[in-house]
Amino acid sequence: MRASARTDKFVGLTLKAGAYGSFALLVVGLVATPFTPAGMTLLKLGIILLMITPVLRIIVAGWMFALEHQYRYALVSLGVLAIMATAYVLSVVH
Amino acid sequence: MTAQLTPLLTLLLASIGLGAGTFGALAGVGGGIIITPLLVMYFGLPMHQAIGVSLIAVIATSSATASVNVQNHIADVRLGMTLELATSFGALVAAVIAGYINRRTLALLFIAFLLYTAFSMARKAWTSRAVPHQADIPAYEVQNYKLGMSASLVAGGFSGLLGIGGGPIKVPVMLLFMKVPLRVATATSNLTIGVTAATSAFIYYGRGDFSLVHAAPLVVGVFLGSQVGARLAPRVRSLYILLLLVVVTVWLAIQMIYKFTTGAIG
Repeated sequence: MRASARTDKFVGLTLKAGAYGSFALLVVGLVATPFTPAGMTLLKLGIILLMITPVLRIIVAGWMFALEHQYRYALVSLGVLAIMATAYVLSVVH
Repeated sequence: MTAQLTPLLTLLLASIGLGAGTFGALAGVGGGIIITPLLVMYFGLPMHQAIGVSLIAVIATSSATASVNVQNHIADVRLGMTLELATSFGALVAAVIAGYINRRTLALLFIAFLLYTAFSMARKAWTSRAVPHQADIPAYEVQNYKLGMSASLVAGGFSGLLGIGGGPIKVPVMLLFMKVPLRVATATSNLTIGVTAATSAFIYYGRGDFSLVHAAPLVVGVFLGSQVGARLAPRVRSLYILLLLVVVTVWLAIQMIYKFTTGAIG
């Protein structure tokens, strides 16, 4: 069985928002970089948004699974989230 | 060494991203297989940094193509989530290990994977030469989770080690053993590579194996390329795309081998 149409919709929207958001930040950042140091900050923000979009997508999917009482898949989402969180913690510690 | 963000560098990298993104959307690969060798050979990035940048490009391909594939109910979110448990774990472990592997070994592994990808695409081209485009998705029941999870673990490992998505490993397994239709398998693989690549990208980023100056224009190009690819997809025969990809990967492999033996990369 596949995820509900509602889950698909929200997961897709999260990905789209993340993609468009980081695209906008990066384009503005690239144009601004020669003129102001703030350009580099925008580029960094764009890349960070890009990197956390998959994390947000997991949270949204897990939330939707829980709402629809598909606890097994909510748990799977939580597991993926835990692995990503471990990677994040390791990267900060390094 | 930090490179300056010159207009020429920006334009060059954005064009490479455009090409990789178009390929990614058309052939269902993350584009890392093209981006890493180009960054190493022509932009002077060390292997580890090139992989860190490539991982970011893979996330971009994934988010851009998957948003459409999920909303059109082609990518299977549940299956993807299950496989991600294995891919992200493999990616996490491999990304940490990569920090202890020297550049030349990593370059050699990359060359091997390039050749495998070329072979895998050639085989896919051969089998798809007579298959018409599937407009509707047939009903399916996912089978053989055990094998699927094992393959995903390996794919995740390669992703964390080499900065690729791992589609050439996952897609055939989903198709042949898990009995998932090709379009669903490709779209689901594209969905999962974002999570896989992000997991290892955290580690590379934290280790400093990354270059913002290279990543930013590349990603802009990748986003544009995915849009181009998505629009071209219904009009271009996948056979020609696969064959083109075979030529590109073989060419990159030859270049990499040559530069490896002369000691120019690593």
